[in-house]
Amino acid sequence: MKAIQEQDCGQVKADLISYCLKNGALVAGVAGADAFDDAPDGFRPADLLPNAKAVVVVGGAAPRAGDWACTIPEHLETMGTSDRINSLGMKVAKVIEDQFGYYALFVPPGMNKGNRPFLSIAMAAELSGCGSRSLAGPILREKFGFMYFSAIVTTLPLPPDAAVESPACPAPECVQMWESEATTPCMQTCPIEDCGCIGGRIEEGRWVERRYDSARCASRVHTYWVPGFQKTLEAVLDEDDKDKRKMMLYGSFFTRTLWSITYAAQSQAQCLECMRVCPVGRDMRTKM
Amino acid sequence: MQSMQGKPEDHDATGRIKEAGRNAGALVVGVAPVDAFNEFIPPGHRPQDILPNAKSIVVAGGKGPTAGAWRCSDHRVMEITGYDFRENVAIHVMADFIESECGYQAIQAGSLPTAGHHPPMSMMLAAVLAGLGTRSLAANIILHPTHGMLYYAALVTTMSLEPDQRLEKDACPHPMCVKTYRALGKTPCMAACPADDGGCLDGSIDEDGRIETSYYDRERCVARSMNFGIGSFQKALTEIVNEDDGGKRKAMIHSDFFTQNLSALSFYKESVAQCFECMRVCPVGRDERKLL
Repeated sequence: MKAIQEQDCGQVKADLISYCLKNGALVAGVAGADAFDDAPDGFRPADLLPNAKAVVVVGGAAPRAGDWACTIPEHLETMGTSDRINSLGMKVAKVIEDQFGYYALFVPPGMNKGNRPFLSIAMAAELSGCGSRSLAGPILREKFGFMYFSAIVTTLPLPPDAAVESPACPAPECVQMWESEATTPCMQTCPIEDCGCIGGRIEEGRWVERRYDSARCASRVHTYWVPGFQKTLEAVLDEDDKDKRKMMLYGSFFTRTLWSITYAAQSQAQCLECMRVCPVGRDMRTKM
Repeated sequence: MQSMQGKPEDHDATGRIKEAGRNAGALVVGVAPVDAFNEFIPPGHRPQDILPNAKSIVVAGGKGPTAGAWRCSDHRVMEITGYDFRENVAIHVMADFIESECGYQAIQAGSLPTAGHHPPMSMMLAAVLAGLGTRSLAANIILHPTHGMLYYAALVTTMSLEPDQRLEKDACPHPMCVKTYRALGKTPCMAACPADDGGCLDGSIDEDGRIETSYYDRERCVARSMNFGIGSFQKALTEIVNEDDGGKRKAMIHSDFFTQNLSALSFYKESVAQCFECMRVCPVGRDERKLL
């Protein structure tokens, strides 16, 4: 295949973004591969793919309005939806290679050594204009709110998008709440000063300080799944009483952990309470 | 339901099924008659032993890693990147098509081991018999002449479909490999993983440029290419259970290695092989891995 001329890259990008949106993405954007200055050495796009020029980001696959409305907390705990965005990410990588003839690398959603991702997909989402960071942690996009993201590093020289000018967080309702109560819905539901994970401060309508206890959050969000398995395994092997061991291995906790790491593979986060109260994207979560 | 006659000369039905598979993401689709398995498979393990009155096997092939993934300088990316396994999706789409549109039975052929290392049906043999590729010197991996290494899935159906012919020309050895063998006594895959130097592959090429003998140390290969997954999970768990020191146990349980094993088993369940070095140097399908 011939190299795409610079003047044609805009149309190629438009076609690619259109493909992403038609195939299930709610948002799609492009970040320049050289824009990841804040990422540490070894964790930038060109560290994954030599001669990387761009990072394509797709977002979507959030829980549906019905999932949020479900009165059984176990529902959201076990019914994952994020896998769809990874499938789309893989499809986009193949389209870039098969249709345009440039290298494309789907960034693994898993962790590299030491619980560190290969590339910060949150940073990619932010740089590509797909959303902005929130007090609660996740990247939020106005209108859509919380969603999952997938990233593809490519040598295709797509023109980058700009980061969003007006961050979705804090929403006007949250600013009002902050001015009257010195808290926001997410901070109120999970206050860092009261055994929760989120804290922060808003000035002139923008958050200027954010506190987030990621370790505490992880221990609550990933209750089941891989960490739950490791925690139980450790406890079982430390337990001398044979009957107690049996109870632990056959208990609901361990059983659900096994479900979450096997059949219900997509279920890897089980809290979402900060997102439940977030006004950004609430319309998407509100149906008849 | 009006069922099609499903006769072998029913080109249209076979073509439409293949088209449905390709539209669902299969890169290649081929058909083999069940009788073709008789030469290689003992009674009790043939397609008609899985589905009574089976007539045809439909095989779908899909690409694994993208060319970009092959190019990644961090080998851990290829270790944990799962695939979308579109060939499996394509097989289900075609099975649905056969049952709903044609009125015949169709099942996905089991490809995972049910006893020892043996699956109910060999996807490799099915791919060869469906004309999609031939065995290679590199771990017997089936190579498609154009696309190189593909992942295969298959369905068994009671519908008689127009079969494809087996490939007349072997995909392996590639002409370049024959030259390399003549000059150095090794092919690129053998040089990358030589059985006589701690590797897994060996073999010879005859005067006609075809595989004469091949040797593949599967046990050694499995131990290296499946560092994360079920086998290594079992290995690590055995060591953890046998460790008396609680502190050491804790360190083993929460280590990167064990965590990656669990991830490989779970969310990233597609990541089951982590070597690929014999395929990295294979010239078959290399053109498709050379991009801009």
